[in-house]
Amino acid sequence: MLLDDLIDSAQSDELLDEFAKREIRRAILAAVAIPGYQVPFGSREMPVARGWGSGGLQITLAVVHDDDVVKVIDQGDDDGVNAVNLRRLVTTSTGADQTSIAAEASVIQSRHRIPEDGLDEESILVLQVPVPEPLRGVERDMRELARMHAEADYSRMWVSLYEDKVRNGVITQTTGYPCLVNDRYVVATTPIPRWDIPRLHESPFLTLFGAGREKRIYAIPPRTKVEPLTFEDVPFEVEHADGATCSLCKSNAAFLVSLPNSDVWMCSDTDWCRRTREASA
Amino acid sequence: MTNDVEYGRYPVARLAVPEWMLKVERLGRVYGPYDDTVITSTGPEIGSSKSAVNGAVVAAWDVSFEVAAGEALGLVGESGSGKTTVLRCLAGDVAPSCGEARLRTTEGDVSMFDLDSSARRRLRIDTLAVVYQDPAEGLKMNISAGGNIAEPLTAAGWRNFGKIRDRASELLTRTEVPINRMDDLVRSFSGGMKQRVQIAKALANSPSVVLFDEPTTGLDASVAAGVLDLIRSLLEEHRIAAIVVSHDFSVIEMLTSRCLVMQHGRVVENALTDQLLEDPHHPYTQRLVAAARA
Amino acid sequence: MRREPVLDVRRLNKSFVLHAVSDRTVVAFADINFTLSAGEHVALAGMSGAGKSSLLKSIYRTYRPDSGEVWLQIHAGEYVDMCSLTDAEVAAIRGHEIGYVSQFLRSEPRRGALEIVARSARQRGMTDHDAREAAAAALHRVGIEERLWDVYASVLSGGEKQRVNLAAGTVHPPRLLLLDEPLSALDPENRERALTLIASLTHRGVAVVSIFHDLEAIQRLASRVLVLEKGRLVAERSPDELDERLTSAAR
Repeated sequence: MLLDDLIDSAQSDELLDEFAKREIRRAILAAVAIPGYQVPFGSREMPVARGWGSGGLQITLAVVHDDDVVKVIDQGDDDGVNAVNLRRLVTTSTGADQTSIAAEASVIQSRHRIPEDGLDEESILVLQVPVPEPLRGVERDMRELARMHAEADYSRMWVSLYEDKVRNGVITQTTGYPCLVNDRYVVATTPIPRWDIPRLHESPFLTLFGAGREKRIYAIPPRTKVEPLTFEDVPFEVEHADGATCSLCKSNAAFLVSLPNSDVWMCSDTDWCRRTREASA
Repeated sequence: MTNDVEYGRYPVARLAVPEWMLKVERLGRVYGPYDDTVITSTGPEIGSSKSAVNGAVVAAWDVSFEVAAGEALGLVGESGSGKTTVLRCLAGDVAPSCGEARLRTTEGDVSMFDLDSSARRRLRIDTLAVVYQDPAEGLKMNISAGGNIAEPLTAAGWRNFGKIRDRASELLTRTEVPINRMDDLVRSFSGGMKQRVQIAKALANSPSVVLFDEPTTGLDASVAAGVLDLIRSLLEEHRIAAIVVSHDFSVIEMLTSRCLVMQHGRVVENALTDQLLEDPHHPYTQRLVAAARA
Repeated sequence: MRREPVLDVRRLNKSFVLHAVSDRTVVAFADINFTLSAGEHVALAGMSGAGKSSLLKSIYRTYRPDSGEVWLQIHAGEYVDMCSLTDAEVAAIRGHEIGYVSQFLRSEPRRGALEIVARSARQRGMTDHDAREAAAAALHRVGIEERLWDVYASVLSGGEKQRVNLAAGTVHPPRLLLLDEPLSALDPENRERALTLIASLTHRGVAVVSIFHDLEAIQRLASRVLVLEKGRLVAERSPDELDERLTSAAR
C-alpha cells in the first residue's frame, strides 16, 4: 500500500526519498504550468554544499529514472570536478546511464551553459541557479517583489536597464540576462551567457531551473516565447570576439571562452569541440 | 436712491459651468474603532480630532468637493487639520474609512476607492499623479533625473530608449531643469531642482489630475516663487484638475481659484480663494488669514 | 427711453463679523439700490471708509453680501443674481461677463505684459492669435512700448504695472466693468491715455461702475455719481454738481 512504499523508500540509500520526489515533481508541474513563475519548494539537504548545484541536483533526481541517460556539465565541460561529482551522485542514486554527448542524453544538468547541439523534444535541460530573483538588484523587500511579479510591474527593472545604458552606452548585463517569458514573467536566466539566450526562445526542449539555497524552481516549457529585456531601439547582442577561433578545433561557430590573461580562445562546450575535431580529422 | 424703473422679476439665465473631473463625497478617515458618538466627540467645536470617548482619531470626516479640468482647488489648514489625510486617501497611499471619490475618464466614471490595487496602480500611472512635499517620497534619489522620469513611462509601456530620453528631456526642459544634468543622480540636486524633477515626473504620462502636497514648503522664498510660477503655468497649459494642499495662504492664493479650509478633520469653510482671503467668515479662517497677512 | 439694465443692485447689505474682536460687527454698507444700463458710467463717491470699495467688491463677489440681490445681464433678456450663484458659477462669470480692475497688478512675477493681457483675452473666448493681436493693440493704447512686452511684469514700474492691469481688464471688455482706483499711480500723460480708453468703453456699450479719487476723472467719464456716506447711499448727483470734498483721497 502507498504508505508502505513510501516508508520503504524513505529507508533506502537514495538521496531523495519518494516524499521528496513527489513534492519536487509537483513544484515542477506548477512551474511548467506557469512559465517563468518561481515556485517555492522545500529544498532538501544534499551532499553538495549550497551554491554548488543542490537545486539542480534535486530536480534531476526527481525526474530521472533508471532508463534515462544523463549528461552533466560545468561551464560546458563534462570533466570539471563539480560535473564529475554530480554525475556520480546522480547515476549511483538513480541507476541511470551517463554520456558526454548531448544528443544521446535525455536529461542534461548544467551550470552556466546550454550545450551547443543535441537538444530536442525528448531532452530535459536542468540549469543550476544561484539567484533566481531577477529583480533582486532593484528591490529587497519580499512582499514588494511578490507584488511586482503578481502585477507584472517591472518598471524598476526597465529603469535599471535605462540607467545601465545611460551610464555605459550599452546594457552591460552579461550572464543571467533577464528575459520575459511567455509575455508574463521576467526570469533570471542566470547564469548562462548571452550567447545561449536566443536558444531558449521557442526551444524544442524543456528547461527547468533549480535554486537550492533560495528554494525556488521555475521552468520554460517547449515552444515558449522568451524575449531578453531590452529597448526596442537597443538590439540584444550576443558575445563576440573579433577574429577569435578555438585554438583546438579552429571553429568560431560555438561560444568561445578565453584562458585567463591570454589571447587563447577555446570552445566552452568541450564535447562539441571534441566531435568537431574528430569530424575534420 | 431708488431704481429708475421697476422691472419686477428677471428671467434667469442658466449658466454653463465646466463639468467635474474629480468628485469627492463624504470622505472620512478614522484611526481606531468608531461610531456616531465617537465622531460627534471630535471636530472644530470640540477643539480636537481625537475622541475623548475611545481615543480614536478622526483625521478627516465628511469632506466633499468637486474639481473641474483646468481648475485648482486648495486645501488649507494647519498641521493636523486633515488636509494631508485627504490627499493621501486620493493618492491611494492611505485607505479611507468611508466616502467616495469619482474620477471622470475617457471610459466613463471610475469609483477610485472601489478599485483593486492593480487598477489603482494603473490609475496612478495613467491618470493621477502626486507631487509630495518631500522629493524623496516621489523620486528615487540614487537614480538619474532622466531615469526617474523613465519609470512612469516604462510603466505605461514605453519601450523605445530614444523616445524615452526625448520625452524626459522635453519634460525637464519645461520644468527648467538644466538638460546637462539629466543623467545626474537626483540625490545631487538642490531642493528646488528636486521638486522640479518631481513635477516633470508627475507630468510624464499627461495626467488629468495632479495632487500637490505642500509643493514648496522647505524651499527658499525665491526658489519657491519660481516653482509656484512653474506649477501655475503648467496647470493652465495642460488643463489639469489640481488639488493643492498647503498651510501657506500665499501658495493657495497663487495657485487656486477655490479653496476648502480644514480644522480638526472637518471642512469649516468652502469658498472662492479671493473670498477667503478678503472676506473670511469662519473664526478659524479669519485667524489663518490674519496670521498670513502679518 | 427705457432700457433693460445691465446691473440691478437691490437692497444689498454687507457687514463683517470680527471673531477675533469678540465677534464685533462692522457694517460696510446697507440697503444699497441702484441700476446701470449698457454704455452708462456711474462713479461712486464719498469719504474713505464710506463703503465704495466694499460695494464694488461685493458686486464682484470677492465680498459675500449678507443679503440682497445683484442682478447681472448675461445674454439679451437673461439675468443671474450674483448673490445666489455657486462658487463655480461665479468663477465662470468673472473674466467673462464681469471684470474688475483694481489698483494693483496681480500676476505671476515672471509673466510678460503681452502674455498677461493676451491671457485675459483668451479667457474671454478669443483664439490664441486674435488674443495676441488684441493684447498688442491694448498695450499700445495704454502707452506700453513693445520693448516692455516680454519683460517680467515684476520689474515694471508701478505706473507701468497699473497700465498693464488696465489693458488686461479692457482688452476684450466684459459687459460690466468695475474700476477701483485704476489710475492712482499714473503720470498726467498716461492718465490722459487711460481716461480716453475708459471713455471709449462706454461708447462701445460697456457698463462701468468706478471709484476715482480725482474729480476731473469723474467729470470726464461718469454720467452719474452715487454718493455714499457711512455705508448708505445718500445722494445721486450729476458730475458737475460734485463737491471736491467727496473725492478726497485721504486714507
